[in-house]
Amino acid sequence: MKFAIALHAPAHSPAARRALRFAEAALAGGHEIMRLFFYQDGVHSASSTVVSPQDELDTARQWREFVAQHQLDAVVCIAAALRRGELNTEEAQRYQRSAASIDAPWALSGLGQLHEAIQQCDRLICFGGH
Amino acid sequence: MSTLHILTHSPFADSRLASCLRLLSADDGLLLCGDAVYALQNGTRTCEALELMPSSIGLYALQEDVQARALQVPERVQCIDYPQFVALTLQHAKVNSWL
Repeated sequence: MKFAIALHAPAHSPAARRALRFAEAALAGGHEIMRLFFYQDGVHSASSTVVSPQDELDTARQWREFVAQHQLDAVVCIAAALRRGELNTEEAQRYQRSAASIDAPWALSGLGQLHEAIQQCDRLICFGGH
Repeated sequence: MSTLHILTHSPFADSRLASCLRLLSADDGLLLCGDAVYALQNGTRTCEALELMPSSIGLYALQEDVQARALQVPERVQCIDYPQFVALTLQHAKVNSWL
């Protein structure tokens, strides 16, 4: 079956970890993840500048490694990301900001990508809250 | 068409669980994860409300969140791991997360 997974929570939220464990279990079960969509505060879960305390899980890094390892289609909502200061190099140059925090394997794109994923997947699973 | 409802917020902090219980249809499922598992605290009204739900409604709790909070889970509620969580989303036609 085809899953689309939307994450609405930052990397320090238990929801970000829960979404990752769900995604791992879906792939392990032989299912396909056709798209990840990180939305609202979930854009922080894709940030490359997150620094976790040494005695805590580095969920942002785990997500990055998971996406790269499985070559997933991983989209970060561009409008949600820009307003939260999560830019890729192109947007940082466009808006003359000093730092970029979104890079491969993540792509900045619009809500249309979520809409398309919902049309094409068997299940959309949203993670957020605590 | 059955729906799996997923709750993550504590029932003692807002009214999501109460609203959700009113909306559940006969074959729906309810999965508690994160702080929502506090609904299973023995002797609370939320736990009593869950135990009174019709038997056709599946009640589930994410095992790791239950363990992390050292809760005793009533027999009516099934503890599940992540592979079972994935399977549960496929057993229902729709999945609704109460974000």
